[in-house]
Amino acid sequence: MRMPLFTVIALGVAAVVYLAGKLFAIDYLFFAGYTVLHFVVLATAWNILGGYCGYVNFGSAGFFALGAYTTVFFHKAYPLPIPALIVLAGIVAGLVGLGTGYLTLRLRGVYFAIATLALAIVLQTLVINWNYVGGSRGAYVIRPQTAPIIGSYIEYLFLLMLLLTVLAVVVARAIERSQLGFGFATIRDDEIAAEALGVPTLRLKLIATTISGGLMGMAGAPFPYYIGYLEPSSAFGLAYAVNAIAMPMIGGTTSWIGPLVGAILLGTLQQVASVTISSAVNLLIVGILLVAFVIIAPNGLVGLVQEFLRAATPERMTWRSLGVLSVAGYGIVAGMFGVVFSLSAIAAARPALGVLALVVSVLLIASAYGLLKLQSWGLLLANASFALSIVLGVIELWFVGGVGAGIMHGGAVAIAVAAIVLLQDAGVKSLYRVPPGERRATS
Amino acid sequence: MEFSADLLINAIVAGLLLGGFYAAVTVGVSIAFGILDIVNIAHPAFIILGSYIAYIVNSRLGIDPIAVSIVMLPVFYALGSAIYQVYYVSFEKRGQEALRGLAFFFGLLFVTEVMLILVFGVDYRYVEARYIGPSLHIGFVDFPLRMLVPCIVALLLFLGLELFLSRTFIGRAINAVAQDQLALRLMAADPIRIKRIAFGISIATCAIAGALLIIIQPVEPSVGREYIGRVFAICVLGGLGSLPGTLIAALLLGVVESLTSTFYGPSWAPAVAFGFLLITLAVRPAGLLGR
Repeated sequence: MRMPLFTVIALGVAAVVYLAGKLFAIDYLFFAGYTVLHFVVLATAWNILGGYCGYVNFGSAGFFALGAYTTVFFHKAYPLPIPALIVLAGIVAGLVGLGTGYLTLRLRGVYFAIATLALAIVLQTLVINWNYVGGSRGAYVIRPQTAPIIGSYIEYLFLLMLLLTVLAVVVARAIERSQLGFGFATIRDDEIAAEALGVPTLRLKLIATTISGGLMGMAGAPFPYYIGYLEPSSAFGLAYAVNAIAMPMIGGTTSWIGPLVGAILLGTLQQVASVTISSAVNLLIVGILLVAFVIIAPNGLVGLVQEFLRAATPERMTWRSLGVLSVAGYGIVAGMFGVVFSLSAIAAARPALGVLALVVSVLLIASAYGLLKLQSWGLLLANASFALSIVLGVIELWFVGGVGAGIMHGGAVAIAVAAIVLLQDAGVKSLYRVPPGERRATS
Repeated sequence: MEFSADLLINAIVAGLLLGGFYAAVTVGVSIAFGILDIVNIAHPAFIILGSYIAYIVNSRLGIDPIAVSIVMLPVFYALGSAIYQVYYVSFEKRGQEALRGLAFFFGLLFVTEVMLILVFGVDYRYVEARYIGPSLHIGFVDFPLRMLVPCIVALLLFLGLELFLSRTFIGRAINAVAQDQLALRLMAADPIRIKRIAFGISIATCAIAGALLIIIQPVEPSVGREYIGRVFAICVLGGLGSLPGTLIAALLLGVVESLTSTFYGPSWAPAVAFGFLLITLAVRPAGLLGR
């Protein structure tokens, strides 16, 4: 797909998202949506350096805060409209990225990672000691009640972040398919060989750090207006550092889809978790997912799907593989949300049901992994865990009142039944009959 | 602030004591990163874990934190060996240390910290021991025992490790594993086993460093983050893999930090380490005593 066409489609999707939000007309949706979207921008930005070049940036929180504090500074010094602030924040953060990169990227990659880790702490120290932007007390940024044309201010912020997301994704995709992207890939795969072949590695790495840092800063620029009161510990929060890494890693680092998928999935999950449980627990979930994914599925969700398609359908996509794929996808998404919901049930008054739901959720995730890896135990486990989830859904329907919960549990039971029926198909079963060793040998 | 000689000397002495403690915090990273080339950024998180174990036992049973940490050494050693095993199978064997291995340790750092927050909250915890509080006075110079005892223990730990690494077979093998794995195999030593032992030792030092940390200052789960920059700055400045270099760098950083917080205010101290790190990387990446 060519670049202009992709941009138009991305803008179209963004418009649909915005109109869908407008349809519900709940401010909270825009509030939550903004959070998810700024994680999409952060994850995409991180991936330009981390995923494409293979250089890890631990200081995402620092770059993000740099953008946020640029806004605070100009809010006091010379008020500007937010789009202008976004551009300025991008420039500031990009320059800091360039500087850090210039000092450390000529050495081994790990020095860059360590330097970024320390950079976030130093920037925080600077901000704490800089009274003009609020110091350790923090700064109030009073948000106007209304925005021009759009009306509600949170809607305006959401729209800005949506456009920024489109920009980030389009830039990431453009890089991926350009000569620049191929240059990045050579650095990731074998930097010494690339250098020997005349790839200007240092210059490419500096371009990557600048773009990546700049985008992170841009993601941070509207943030003070979003939360209204910015203090160093929230701008430099651990959540940004870990999510910027975890989201691409869990989604998949080799293409622009990975960070997008990872950020939407994890971002939404965390929104739900911080409402139903606590923000510490949701960070714990992210941390555990990160460790689990880098060990078990090093190429992330996108990698799992690609491997599955390559192994299951060598020639063309069949409805069977598509079916298994959607069952597995459902298993992963439902399992992850199931974990959050069951933890909140355990925290609330229903521990027994919560523990059962937790077991089923974890089994669902495991079986989805097995299904995607074409393991015969995956098929068995999938049958078992979907059967269990039917039982659980029926119990929940029995005990829990309310239309919303009824629709949710009823839907879950219906999907589980459909999944089990699909998994009984002879063609699907045959996918799992060949021992994995032989399949690898033939393909 | 007014400049005076005894303030300066006191700041330098405090810095040296602090630097000795930093040496104990860094020695584990010096082994893991400097010798084994494993970038364990989760190291400070394990130190905090050590602090909390010292705190629990001290507050329940009243046992001295340093004694607790010595008892905990085998446990931390086992933890370290287990982590290395996972790291080796999942990343080193597949050649994925650079990106995913780092993310793995970052995840560990994060999970440990959040677990501690969930269990203990974000309140500051401290230990009680007889040497916390009183000071030794020699002339106008203060030696707070709270700093002196950790410094001495740290130096003993440091000396012990230096002797172990230079005198014993396994210690020499650990030094060799970074240089020539094949030669090590020819000496009938399994490089993976040697690395596992070395990483176990590296994590074991966290038990002691953690106990020292909670003697020096009250601890809450996110304190560890301040030490990430410090330990790697010391490690790089000292020269990778050089224990004497690490000691010199640790003392240097301690003194400069102490002077900074005496004359400019303690809130600037965390920035010193980063300055050290950047200057070292820009001017002499091999460090003071690097090979």
